[in-house]
Amino acid sequence: MSVTDDVEAPARPPAKPVRKPPRKPRPAPGSKRLSPLRVLGSAIVWLFTAGNILVLYWLLTASFKTPVEIFTKPFALPYQWFNVGKPFRNFIYAWNNAGFGDAVLTTVVLVGLATVVTVAVSAPCAYALTRLGVRGSGPMTNAVAIGMGVPFQTVIIPLFVVLSKIHLDNEYGLFLLYVALSIPFTVFLMTGFFRSLPDELEEAAALDGASPTRTFFSVMLPLTRGGMITALTLNAIGLWNETLLAIVFLKDQAHFTLSRALFTFYGAASYQSEYGGLIAGVAIVVLPMLVLYLVLARRIITGLTLGAGK
Amino acid sequence: MATVTTPTTPSARVVKAGAHLRRKKRLFWPFAAPALVLYLAFLVLPTIATVVLSFTSWAGAGDTPKPNGVTNYTQMVASDSFQYAFGNTLIYVFLGGIGTFALAFLFTMVLRDMKGGKTVRAILFFPNIVAPVALGMFLGFVFKYQPGKQGLANYVMEGLGADAAKFLAPSNVTGVVTASLIWASSGFYITILMAAVDRIPPYLYEDAELGGASPWQKFRNITLPMTWDVVGVAGVLWTINALKIFELVFVLAGPGTYAPPNEAWTLGIYVFDRTFGSNGTPDFGAACACAVAMIALVSVLVVLLRRLMRRDAIQF
Repeated sequence: MSVTDDVEAPARPPAKPVRKPPRKPRPAPGSKRLSPLRVLGSAIVWLFTAGNILVLYWLLTASFKTPVEIFTKPFALPYQWFNVGKPFRNFIYAWNNAGFGDAVLTTVVLVGLATVVTVAVSAPCAYALTRLGVRGSGPMTNAVAIGMGVPFQTVIIPLFVVLSKIHLDNEYGLFLLYVALSIPFTVFLMTGFFRSLPDELEEAAALDGASPTRTFFSVMLPLTRGGMITALTLNAIGLWNETLLAIVFLKDQAHFTLSRALFTFYGAASYQSEYGGLIAGVAIVVLPMLVLYLVLARRIITGLTLGAGK
Repeated sequence: MATVTTPTTPSARVVKAGAHLRRKKRLFWPFAAPALVLYLAFLVLPTIATVVLSFTSWAGAGDTPKPNGVTNYTQMVASDSFQYAFGNTLIYVFLGGIGTFALAFLFTMVLRDMKGGKTVRAILFFPNIVAPVALGMFLGFVFKYQPGKQGLANYVMEGLGADAAKFLAPSNVTGVVTASLIWASSGFYITILMAAVDRIPPYLYEDAELGGASPWQKFRNITLPMTWDVVGVAGVLWTINALKIFELVFVLAGPGTYAPPNEAWTLGIYVFDRTFGSNGTPDFGAACACAVAMIALVSVLVVLLRRLMRRDAIQF
């Protein structure tokens, strides 16, 4: 299109200057060219995105359907349970049969306490490692960061044996484990935040006569509020979804966490072909995270990238 | 409080500063100790214990470990289940890694100047906040094979005129899990890489456009070199995460309550089956040996990757 403009322009008689609207700048060569790679790339991106949305749609609608509907009309809106006036039948079934009522309470308390304690323990440690100028802090920070690479399977066997010997193979032991095993990541994340604060703040606080403890609690800690919220959110998501340790350490059904309860429910409900109830169970575990994600997506993503970018 | 600021003599000030520094340093242990103690007690010591116990014959709680040299290792390496587990784990790490990063790179090429890119990123990230157990169950329904009651994938395939496939049969499940893994985790790596891409000064791309560079050339000569360090970190994260994959395969390939067939095993499932799984008699010694193999594999792969990715930092 811009090529024709170019061809016409010199043909115009130059004698009489005719006022015409300024021509749009010609696009740089190459930028608007539709390369096959770009077309293919865009197509894949959109297909992929549409696939994800479809999958979410399928999950949400299937949780309101009967098994027959799920498998014969996967894309239709739910009908049968609405028709008989029991739209939440699957959710009620899952809630009652999987013991989600107790599990929600256990999970919320356990995950809530564990994330708060993790951050409360990790933030001072990260501060000490980055800001106090003690020799050996660098290697120590690295040693803690290496802990992120240790698979749970490597530590679970001795921990299980020792903790069951002192009768902590229950939710209290699990709480300790959750806190301890979240520490490497949290300390690593928080060191990134503390390191980014300017030295002048601490100097100013010291000049004003604040003790080092006070400097930490009233100046430095509040400034890393963003980092702490990120650490809380990421740990909460991770622990909410944690299953392996919960399977190993929780034996009493009354104290199952949500993912643990779902795991047990899966075996039982599969036998009875209770697919509607199962998908509702999956939805019950997933939906709180979806809500949290919709509210905090930006923070979760910046937190993750900050941790990785450093 | 304000008295500290009144300067007396230079030497007195130095003493004050020194005292302050000392007070600061005295804070180190009270601040760092709780986290470090927990770290030592729950990560370092158990890892050492696992290494020691891997050289013993030990049935589990109630039994006393008896040293038996490297028997656990020789038996483990010779066993079918370990070979499957090791092979599958390597497939997930390498094939899954190549797929995930290829997809992530393709997306960075397209998403950088695409309208709605932020929304697309948020949507792609979503599977990462779903519990792997829930994800496994959910994919179990998607890939279900049962004539007349087909899961979503077979429903679509039959709709397109193709034959339904037994996706979750032991011989196919590794491929299905690899694909699922790529689908579920690509969002995370796209997010990380895009955050690095966003920091690249746009004038580099403008310049390349004036020069008529193709998207591939822009990727090869701008995006990749400028994000190299982040790619390295993302690669390490991938290796760590893919190596301990457990719940997703356990639920997707098996009946849910006990371990899936041997062909589908990963190292994580091997450890679980030998200890807490309800299938067969426990053998904690062998499980420890496999756990040691896991951490050795992580260390080797991470060190290799760092070696491979090392180069001089680019300042921009």
